[in-house]
Parts: sequence; structure tokens; C-alpha cells
Amino acid sequence: MAYEEPITDYDEIVENCTCAFCGCNCDDLDYLVKDGHVVGVRHACRLGASKIMEDMDQRLIVPMVRDDNGELKEVDWDTALDKAAEYIANSIRPVMYGWSETSTECMKEGLALGEYIGAVLDNQATICHGPSLQAVQNAGYPIQTLGEVQNRADVCVYSGSNAMNSHPRHLARYSVFCRGFFRSRGRFDRTVVTMDPKFTDTAKMSDKWIGFEQNGDYGFYNAIRAVLKGKELSQDVISGIPKEDIYELVEEMKNAEFGVLFFGLGLTHTLSKQRNIDIAIKMVQDLNKFSKWGLTPMRGHFNVNGFNIFMAFETGFPFGVDFARGYARYVLGETNTIDLLTRGEPDVFLVIAADPGAHFPNKANQHLAKIPVIQIDIHWGPSTELADVVLPGSFIGVECGGTSYRMDGVLIFMKKAIDKPETCRDDEWIVRELKERVMKLRKEPNVAPEYIPNPAAQ
Amino acid sequence: MEYILKNGIVYDPANKVNGEKKDVMFKDGKIVEKVSSDAKVLDVTDKIVMPAGVDPHSHVAGPKLVVGRLYRPEDSRKGVTQKTNLLRGESGFSIPSCPTTGYRYSRLGYGTVVEAAMPPLEAKHTHDEIATIPNIDIPALPLFGNNWFVLEFAREGKIDELAAFISAWLKISKGYGVKIVNPCGSEAWGWGMNVHGINDKAPYFDVTSKEVIRALAKANEKLGLPHSIHIHPNDLGHPGNVPTTLETFESVKDIDKNAAVRNQNLHCCHLQFHSYSGNSWKDASSGAEEVAKYVNKADNITCDVGQVTFDETTTMTADAPMEYDLFKLSGLKWVNKDIECETAAGIIPIIYSPKSPVNTLQWAIGLELFLHIDDPWKVCLTTDHPNAGPFIRYPRIISWLMSNERRMEMIDNEVHKWVHSRTTLPTLDREYDFYDIATITRAAPAKIHGFSDRGELTPGYNADIAVYDINPNDIDPSKEHELIEKKFGLTDYTIKDGEILVKDKEIVKVKESSTIWTNVKGYEEEEKAVIEGIMPFFNQYYSIKWENYPVHDHYLSNPIRVDVEASK
Amino acid sequence: MKTITFKQKKTSSIALEFDELIPDEIYTWGESDFNKYEVPIGNSRFPLTDYFDIKVEGEAESPDEVKMIINGDLNRVKYIGCKMSGGEILCNSSVDLHVGAEMSGGTIIVDGNAAAHAGREMSGGYLEIKGNTKEFTGASYIGEWRGMTGGEIIVHGNAGKQCGECLSGGKITVLGNCDILAGIHMSKGVMEIQGDVNRWPGGQMKNGTIVINGKLGRLLEGFVFDEVVDNPDIEGKVYDGRFIKYTGDIGLNGKGTLLINADVNRDKLGEYGESDDEYTSIREYRNL
Repeated sequence: MAYEEPITDYDEIVENCTCAFCGCNCDDLDYLVKDGHVVGVRHACRLGASKIMEDMDQRLIVPMVRDDNGELKEVDWDTALDKAAEYIANSIRPVMYGWSETSTECMKEGLALGEYIGAVLDNQATICHGPSLQAVQNAGYPIQTLGEVQNRADVCVYSGSNAMNSHPRHLARYSVFCRGFFRSRGRFDRTVVTMDPKFTDTAKMSDKWIGFEQNGDYGFYNAIRAVLKGKELSQDVISGIPKEDIYELVEEMKNAEFGVLFFGLGLTHTLSKQRNIDIAIKMVQDLNKFSKWGLTPMRGHFNVNGFNIFMAFETGFPFGVDFARGYARYVLGETNTIDLLTRGEPDVFLVIAADPGAHFPNKANQHLAKIPVIQIDIHWGPSTELADVVLPGSFIGVECGGTSYRMDGVLIFMKKAIDKPETCRDDEWIVRELKERVMKLRKEPNVAPEYIPNPAAQ
Repeated sequence: MEYILKNGIVYDPANKVNGEKKDVMFKDGKIVEKVSSDAKVLDVTDKIVMPAGVDPHSHVAGPKLVVGRLYRPEDSRKGVTQKTNLLRGESGFSIPSCPTTGYRYSRLGYGTVVEAAMPPLEAKHTHDEIATIPNIDIPALPLFGNNWFVLEFAREGKIDELAAFISAWLKISKGYGVKIVNPCGSEAWGWGMNVHGINDKAPYFDVTSKEVIRALAKANEKLGLPHSIHIHPNDLGHPGNVPTTLETFESVKDIDKNAAVRNQNLHCCHLQFHSYSGNSWKDASSGAEEVAKYVNKADNITCDVGQVTFDETTTMTADAPMEYDLFKLSGLKWVNKDIECETAAGIIPIIYSPKSPVNTLQWAIGLELFLHIDDPWKVCLTTDHPNAGPFIRYPRIISWLMSNERRMEMIDNEVHKWVHSRTTLPTLDREYDFYDIATITRAAPAKIHGFSDRGELTPGYNADIAVYDINPNDIDPSKEHELIEKKFGLTDYTIKDGEILVKDKEIVKVKESSTIWTNVKGYEEEEKAVIEGIMPFFNQYYSIKWENYPVHDHYLSNPIRVDVEASK
Repeated sequence: MKTITFKQKKTSSIALEFDELIPDEIYTWGESDFNKYEVPIGNSRFPLTDYFDIKVEGEAESPDEVKMIINGDLNRVKYIGCKMSGGEILCNSSVDLHVGAEMSGGTIIVDGNAAAHAGREMSGGYLEIKGNTKEFTGASYIGEWRGMTGGEIIVHGNAGKQCGECLSGGKITVLGNCDILAGIHMSKGVMEIQGDVNRWPGGQMKNGTIVINGKLGRLLEGFVFDEVVDNPDIEGKVYDGRFIKYTGDIGLNGKGTLLINADVNRDKLGEYGESDDEYTSIREYRNL
């Protein structure tokens, strides 16, 4: 890596800003601001810094509507909002997807709109840590805040997560290298284990690498649980790992003073999906009989956890909530974006702060190409090519303040550092405008004439 | 706007009004002595009029609540209802969603609910949720019992610094009073351990639970906070925890209370869970009589009960090691949530069954406490929602308290036979009257929490009023327990700050809630010094920046600030 | 006896929800009631007669006397027979999600495939699917640890992943193959699989019985070899042949029974020191 000169040419420093990249939500960044732009970022990792500094790269500046020739044409805000509101108001199966890179204040407006019109509200959990949430619902959730890891943990396990690449400051700030109250020598006081079929960058800096075979996760964790119960393993090699290695690993885990399991998409998206997490949670629960263990899902976007938390306290369900019938429904496989799209059900798709064009399976995107798509985002991306109405939002944590929840559930207020481009609007404002316009266009569907209590809660 | 509630039968224990037929008047959100002739008349002839309910200990908002909601969709599904023009869709039975919580408390005639556990690190989150709960005012009690700074101050005996710390942290977290949960135990849980009894020491910090309780009680009284320390003692739910509970009471006996509004210097929450005799579940029995005897004698102790209601519910407490013990018993899905340097919480679903001997014992102990404690001003009605049962069961508990016949029916036919051999419940025939019910659900909790604007129908107080469709002269509560349960479950009127929220058993208005917090004056210099002192530690060992720690106004919904002049 | 015949007029790309059209609700309905009825589709309701012609014959005093015959392409009709307690439903096509979910009585016969969540949290009744099913057949609602508690499900074809998840009563029979993690978290009841099982049946099971007559792929370490049994009798049904019996899942001290056909799964048998001569010779044969 070439040496980079420190940036000295700036007008002011805005301290203690929060990074709007991954679920670490590092809140110690200093922005170097010049002429209303962030020209440098201190303390952030490369991922965070580049996202914050390249904020004007391929930036959506003005609202656009796709015309009859299929070209996106720049229009004024009223025209674009009216068009979008018309699509939503006339829809029968609207889906509102995204939300993970915007503030919970914006989600509040979105939820009000979704509840009004009877939409499905879903976020990126549906394609990333959704299986983790399902497993949590089946097995429980022994979690701790990241400061607890910093201060106490002496064994950190990364399973199916390459944190060095995906959450670069995670190890430095919260788990491995940092000095904690009871771990004053930082890295030297901790054992790091990586469980991953690939020899990743995280595995390279670990003390131990367990390279179990792909899709072998469930069998591997099941074997650990059996060993924890005192069983002799009958097979010599389980999921590609010799049984002696499993005995040794279990011994190490039992002897930890405070162990933490961090898991990522490598665990959530292999063959047995949520059951991998399910059994990993059970394993952590078993380990608590011997010492203290916890786990944390390595959430991706900075507010993906926020949406789940927000929806849980507002509606009782974390993601994929369907309000079509006037009450909340949450059925995995039915009310999730990908399932709905591949079944070809939605007739309007609102995407906010997400990029389905880049992330969704082909079949889902094929359906998106057929239906009106409304995009609220700050950058031009594959989804813009699918969009029929484009509404340029603003950058939370840089151009606009807002609430986010870190991967461990700690609320962080992301403050505003610079002004947004003049023609852009705050996400919260856009969604509120949409809501108000939709309310004018269509009477609220599926309203019960009177309150009928649910007999199960009497 | 002026209103007059006409011809109701009023129970207002704070003003010693016991079932008198009289009018209640209010204007611009406050109770008044008289109104003009333009006042709108609400005819409540022969119906019970009480101050709106005050729940002294409940879990309705905060980080562990949200995990509960997130991980129990099967519970959320139970309470799902369709939206109406006014109300959003509801969800949840034991852990209802935030809007649902507000609606249901309103229907019960409650106006104020104390959120009993708020980790300061997650205070912003708690207030974010409080703002989402409509119709009820919610003060939140920050957790101090396992806070590392508190443990250090308590070990060193630095009461002045501790008082300044509490004063600062109430401002930072916008909290109302001092909550202590399993002091030293939740810290020990950081290493997978627990403390047993109040003379056990927290690992590393080298301080006993007793020292922590005494230090916090002294600091609390030094500041003269409206509420006393609010304690969940050690050894919750363990057979043979009566000595721990009594030692906890005894430990603060010599500390003088320093607030005119209340009588106690220690409030013990969900006392039911702390009144078990015996050595193990095999020989467990009720210790309620012994505990109640102490409470009867002591002037400095109040309690709420945490009555078990025989439902499938969710236990959640900042007593994480106890939750792990429960997990080992039931094997159901277990949640743990450790908060750095502050506390640790746990959650687990639980099914209280009348067929289970242990659950029957718990149910009986709760009722025994109600019936053995003579002075209703010392005991409050709670289920420790959602731990022993959801709050929507309060009317059922009222029907049990008012009807010995119903209790005997349950003892004879419905619950396990342990109730005869291990408890004194079958021998108790005391029945609460409406005045007592008004005391344990309104007047006493308000006094215990030191509220000087609610819980009474005194002129100048908030117009928080509940009207129930019961004619006390026309009903025999000991026979018609089903009717009592039904009528207390849905008010004719719930009035909050002079606004009619429930009318004729329908919610007609949804209003934003308020949060209540305590602002101590006169400790500004000391607070500054304490914060400066702990800042190096904070910067090094907390995972967030100091700037992100305090609750800013953005998260406060209609705050009500209670100013306290600290006496030094 | 009342026969209600649904004849499809057109299909919808957005699923119709039939949760209100169950015998318990409609046993008193005449044709005019159906003509008035609006069926939920997405956030709206549309006249049912736009999609189906309905013919009603006979009278019914109770839900049990109702027979519904639904003809046409039902791939976008969900919640058929959801929460029903009696009566009979015949579907002459493949059906969408949640067929027979939470039913407590009555009969549903699907002449085709069923989408996911068929017979979810059933507590009684009989659900027969002539074709294949997808994920979560006879499973529990997410988060619930008490799944299907009674009744019977028969799948003639193959079943998808996590069939019989959290099974706590009743019986599921799959005549075809089962995908991974059949009977996961099971605590009671019987699962019978005539075909092959891909991987890991009975993960974290507490109790109950899984019988696999076909070839088993991978077995979890949580299962402990118990014995080889001849013609086992499971809740009154005798399974002919030799079966290897495992107990598990040991990870949570489970006492579940997993029976796999010994003849088809001889490779599994070789791992355990059986004294039986026949099986010793099999082991020797394998070693060749």
C-alpha cells in the first residue's frame, strides 16, 4: 500500500461522527470538511472512509421519472412525488423494501405509510441475517454489547464471517486488538478462532482456523454439542474436521473465561440456513454451563438491526411484516420480499436505501422490471435502471441526522456534519410527503368498522 | 375545557374518600374544586370513580423488551387485531407492541406506568420506545446496582461522590429513581457466576451486595429523591431466599428517609419471588407470613407483589443469572443481554400452570402477601409485567382479592395440593373492598413513587381519572367475581390530563405519552467533578463516545421534569 | 350434506386468501351469500364471483356436513382450509401456501402439489397431498416450539426441507423422499418416511419417532446407536424388516427414536460392532 500524505487542507473538523457503513457504527470518526464537502475522514476504515468521502460519486441529484420511451427524465419534486404516490395508491400488493441505510425516524414515516396502504415492509435482513433472526426466534439470543467483549472476552470465535474484510474495525475497536478492563494487553490476552471453509484474512490473524467443509456447519456444531454432553464421537472425521481437533476445540471453549461467537453470512446462507444459527445458539447456551459465552450476529448495514428493532417495538415482528389485511402478519416464506417477487405478486415496489438490482436473484429482478419501481436513494446503481421514479435522498450521518442501532442493539445518534445538495431532500421528508399524498388519493383500505379484540389476548 | 363527572361513587384513598357519592370536576387538565355552569356534564351515576391507575413496577419499554418482542413472534401473533380509524393494529399477549401497551393500559383505566429497568447505556433506546407508547406517562428507573462506578464508590464508601453520580446519571439517562437489581449478582454474571445472599462479594470489585444497597440508599436519601431505592434483592426465585430478603430490609433500617412525600426508604419489587422458604424446590414452602410480618412492623418498607396469574408469559429481568437458572429448568429459548459496565438481563418464556406444584406455590405466596400485609398503603398490585403475568390480568387479581369464595374454589378444584400443605392461603379469609383496591392500584403506588401530581383526586392534581361500570352498592364482589373481573377490565371513562381517552368502553382518543424524570439541583459542581473523574475510564472502556451517551431532547417525548432541591 | 363446487373463471397473479371460506364459516351460506362475498387479494377485496363460479347443492346443519370441491388452477389460492374444524375440502389442482394450516378437524385432499407450510400447526383432521410439498410441511409457526399436535398428514410425493419441524403430536407420512432436517426439534409424534432422506434427520429432537425406510445420507453425531430391531411396532403399526435404532439428540439429552432400514443402510450398520453373524459378514463384505 502506497504512503498517503495526510490531508491538511480543510476548513473545519467535525468530531465524533458516526460511520454509515457497517453494523459496527463506529461513532468516533472525525470528518475534515472543506467547502461543504468531507475531504478526509479520521479513524474510519477504508470502507467507511471511502463511502463518506465519495458521497458525490454517481450521486442522484434531482428527481426523475421514466417517460414513455423508457428514459429517465429529470422533473420537479411535485411531479415525481405525485407520480410515486399514484403508483402506491393504486397498488394492490405494494412492497416497501430497504430501510437499512436510513434512519429510524424515516422508518416511522414508512411504517405509517405501509400500515395505511396495507403494504409489506421488509428490509435487507430478508437476504442477509434473516436466518439469524429466525434462529433467534427458535432458540434464543445470548448476546452482549460490544464493550462487554472488549472488557472481558478472552476467546473470540468468528464463524462464517470474514470480519477483517467486511467489518474492518470490528476486531480493532471491539473484540480482539483493543485493550479491555480485564484484558489489558489486548490481543495477547485473547485467543481468536476462525471457523470458515476458506482461509480468509480473519483466519490468517487467528490462533486457530477450523476449515470445516462447505455446508457441513450443522453436522459440525451438532458434534460439538454431543461432545459437550460427554459423548464419544463415532465418526473419525466430521464435516471435514478430525474428531481430535473437535475435542481440543471443545476443551478450549469450555476453558474460556468469557467467550464470544461472532457469526456472519457464511453461517446463515449455507445448506441448513437458519438451523446453523439455531444450533450455534444452542451450543453457546450449552457452553454457559461451563463458563460464560455469548454471541453477536455480524450485521451488515449500519441500521439493518435498527429496522428489526424498530419494527419489533412498533408491530411485534422484526421484518417481512405484511399489513395487507389491516393487521400485521409475519410468515417467513410468504411475506418476504424475495418470495413475493419470485412468486410474481407485488405490483408496486418501493425501494429505499437499498440496491435490489445488485443483490436480488435474477427471477426477482425479472419481476421488478415488469412493475413500477420507486427508488429513494443517494447513488445511481443497478436499481436506478429498474426504477420508474427516482427520488434523491440524503446521506444519513453526513448530510442528515438520524437514529441507528448498532449490531448489538445500542442506539447511536448519527449527527449531521455538512449540508445536503440543494435539490435533494431528507429521506424522512420524502416518505412523509409520499404518505400524505397517498392519503389524499386513496381511502384507507381494510379498516375494521370497530375494534374487535383478539380472544387470545383477553 | 371544563368537565364535571356527575354522581359517581368516588374512591380516593389519599383524601380518605371511601365510596361517597360526589361530583369530580376538572378544568384544563387539572382537578378543580368547582367549575362554571358551562362545564360539560358526564353522567356517571352510581359508577365507581377512582384516580387513574398507577403501575409502580412494570416492563414496557427498553432493550430487553424489544428483544422479547423480536424473538417471540408466537406471542405477538396471539394479540393481533385489525386496525380501525383511530387505532393501529395490535399485537402481543405477554409482551405487546408499544402502541398495544398504551391502548391496553388505557382500557384498564391506568394513567401512569413505571418502567422499572433502564440500563443507562440503552436509555436513548428506552426513551425511543416510551415515545411510541401512547396514552400513559412513563417514568423510567435507571439501573445502578451493578454499575461499575457504583461498585467502586460503594467499596470506597464515597457516598458524596455516589450521590453526585446518581444525580448526574439521572440527568444523563433522564431517569426517575434508583433501581437496584440483584446487586453484585449481575456483575458476577459477567463471568457466569452469581452471588448468594447479601454478604457475598462481586468478583474483582470486592464489594458485597449489602454495602452496595446501603451506599445507594444513603446517597438516595442524601439527594432526597422523590422515590426511595427500588430494589430487586438477591436470590430471586430461589427456595430459601427469605433470610436474604429480610437481611436486605434490615440493612437499611438505620438510614433516615429524606423526602416528605413518601414514608419508605426501601421499596422491594415483586416480593412474591423473594418469599420462599425451604432449601430446594422439593421442600420449598411459603415464607410469605414471615416476610409480611416484617413489613407490617417496619415503617420504612413498601413492596409490590408480582402476582402469578397462571398464563403463558415471558420472564424478563436484569437478573441474568436467575434467567439462566430458569433456562436450565425449562430448556426453552433463552435470551441473555449483557450491557457493558452496567448490568445484564435475561429473558425466557414461561408457562405458569395451576397443575404445577411450584407455580401453585408462587400463586399462593402472592395472594398471601396481599392478605397478610395489613396496611394496603405498603403493598401495590403488580404482576411484575410480564414476569408473573401480563398486566391485562390485573382485573382478575382484583377479583381474587375481593372474593374469598373464588379463592377457595380455586384452592379446592383448580390448583395443586401444595397450596394446603405448604402455604397458609386456605386459612385466610380476608377480602379487599373497593377502597383497598383503590389504595393498592392508585394511591399507594403514587405515594411510594413520590408523585405529587397524580394518584389522587385532589384539586390541582392532574385530571387522571378512571370510571368503572360498577355500582358498589349493587354488587357482591365475593360472589360475582366474574363480573368484577370483566368490569375492571374495561373502563367507562379513562381520563388523562383532562382528555377523555376511553368513553363507553371504546378508545376515543390517542395522545402522546410523557416521560417523567428527576432533576436534582444543587449538585452541579460535584457532578462535574465526578464526570471528570470517570472520563478516562469511560473513554477507554465504553464502546461508545461520551457524546453519544446522554439522552438528548430528540428522544424525549413531552418530558415532565421533577425538580429536587438536594439538601447537602 | 351440502356440496359447494368452485369452478374457476380466471386466475390472479396476486394470491387469493381463502381463510374465510372454510366450512366453519360458510356452512349456512347459499349461492347469494357467495355472490355477495368479496375475497381478500393483497390490500383489497374483490368479488369472489370474478374468480369462481359457485354452485351450492344440499343443506348443512354443521360444518361437518360441508363438502367443498375446488376446481381450477389454485397455485395462487392460499390458506385453503386454514383453521377449519370439520367438513371436507377437495382441491383438484396444486395449491398455494398454508393449505390446512392450524386445522383442528375435517379432511383436505389435494390432488396435486402443495406449496410451503402445508398442515402447519395442525391439531386434528386429515390432510392428504397427492403430489409433492415444499418446506415446513406440518411444521410450527416461527418461534413456536409446539408444532403440529394432532391429526395426520400424508404426502404421496416428496417433502421439502424441515418437514415436521417441532412436531409435537400426530403423524406425518411421506411416501417419497424427504429433504434435509426432517423432524428437527421434534418432541412427540411419528414421522414415517418411505423414501430416502438427504441429511441430518431429527436434529435436536427431544422425543418422538422417525422411521426411515429408504436410504439415509448423513446422520448427526447427536444420535447414539441403540440396537438392531426386527419388525418394530410404532404406535400400533408394524414395520416389516430390520431396522437400526438410534437415540437422540444427545446434545439436549433427547430421548427420540430414529429407526432406519438396516437392509438399505448397511454402510451405517458396519460402524457398530454387531455380534450377529449375518451382520458381521456384511462388515467383512464391506471390508473387501
